[in-house]
Amino acid sequence: MKNSELENILDECLERLAKGETVEQCLQRYPEQAAQLEPLLQTAQAVRKASAILPRSEFKARARYEFRSALQATATRRRLPLFGLRPRWAMALMIIAIALVAGGGTAAAANNSMPDSPLYPVKLATEQVRLALTPSDMGKARLCTALADRRVAEIIYMASRGDAEQVEVITQRLDESLTMLAVLVSVGEEEVPAAEGAPREMPEEPLLTTPPPPAPPPAPSEEPKGDGNVYDEGDGRAELRVIVTACACDHPDALRAALSEAPESAKPALRRAIFISEIDYERVLAALD
Amino acid sequence: MQDEESLVRRAQQHDQEAFAQLYEEYFDKIYRYVALKIGDRMEAEDITQQVFLNAIKAISSFRWRGIPFSAWLFRIAHNQVVDYLRRKTKRPTMPLDESLVASDYDPQLIAGRKLDIERLYSAAGKLTPAQQEVISLRFAGELPIAQVAQIMGKSEGAVKALQHSAIVALRKTLSVA
Repeated sequence: MKNSELENILDECLERLAKGETVEQCLQRYPEQAAQLEPLLQTAQAVRKASAILPRSEFKARARYEFRSALQATATRRRLPLFGLRPRWAMALMIIAIALVAGGGTAAAANNSMPDSPLYPVKLATEQVRLALTPSDMGKARLCTALADRRVAEIIYMASRGDAEQVEVITQRLDESLTMLAVLVSVGEEEVPAAEGAPREMPEEPLLTTPPPPAPPPAPSEEPKGDGNVYDEGDGRAELRVIVTACACDHPDALRAALSEAPESAKPALRRAIFISEIDYERVLAALD
Repeated sequence: MQDEESLVRRAQQHDQEAFAQLYEEYFDKIYRYVALKIGDRMEAEDITQQVFLNAIKAISSFRWRGIPFSAWLFRIAHNQVVDYLRRKTKRPTMPLDESLVASDYDPQLIAGRKLDIERLYSAAGKLTPAQQEVISLRFAGELPIAQVAQIMGKSEGAVKALQHSAIVALRKTLSVA
């Protein structure tokens, strides 16, 4: 018998085994080749059985969550910024809204609030507005780094108070910020436009028959650099890498340091936060590479 | 699962549920494929996740040109594995057999499965790279021969020949039957 004939029969038998036939049933179909086929099919069965490796259920759950978050982050980036308004109008409205909120002093006070404060929801909402307001991927990425910094401080604070539940919730937010950061730096690399200058999120609009609205005021800027509120790109990627590299060491270190002083009840949640921060930063650094 | 082509088209139009269905269909297969190729649980987990994150980024570039989605996805996985093997991280390795503990509960069964997977990983390491690829795609990825051929850029006949020679070689190493 030619080799190719045996190879075809073997492959057909493998398909049948995969569909649930037994080795014996296959051999009955090919009695003339049974002697050659049997050891091969037995081996194939052993290989199939051994390679049926199942991923750990906790890994599957976590991977599914991260996949969904990444899908969500991508969808958010593609969506028009505000209720389907043209980007320029939406941007102007957002700036007015944030100016009103910030002008009242509430946002400023909320900035330093912790999750057990009544102002904390304002802090989160303000962060979302800032994220939506930031036009470039690199600016968003820097903001994500700053948000991760805040989340780590909050985790340490809540752990010191023994609130494991809040530590879990904030860890999830930390994970979301770092997942978004990884997506932004990866996608940003591919989407660098050939022509420089035009912001990517401002698609060209048709000519207006009425006079255009006044240009929106410049985006808020010059907040302390440590807070990551930097909207211009500049030599963004290299600078971002420096910041992320520092955070990749500092954040897990700070969480580890908090572990020794945290009440026992918060330690498991804190350990998970350390684990999440380590693997997330590793992923972000890989994406930046 | 719904018709794969329509799911992929919906995923390309940013339908999250469609993409999630594709994810569920292929997650375990991609994990098994990666795990069998690199033999390290933690790395296999990271790489599997990265495969799907890359798929999100690249889905819009996928075109139906006679190449099924599975072939495209496994190609991403293959590239990730190659990239990993090229730069081998400094992280401590976590043997593959550890992952079995979480999925099986019978201690005897666990011991038997550990032995199986250790022997298979060791035996697969003695195959040629092409033979390893065929075995990983066929048995861990559960792909039909036609798709393996598309992924590897070979004829079906060539893949069948590789499959045959790989099983013969594995038989010698594993001493089955």
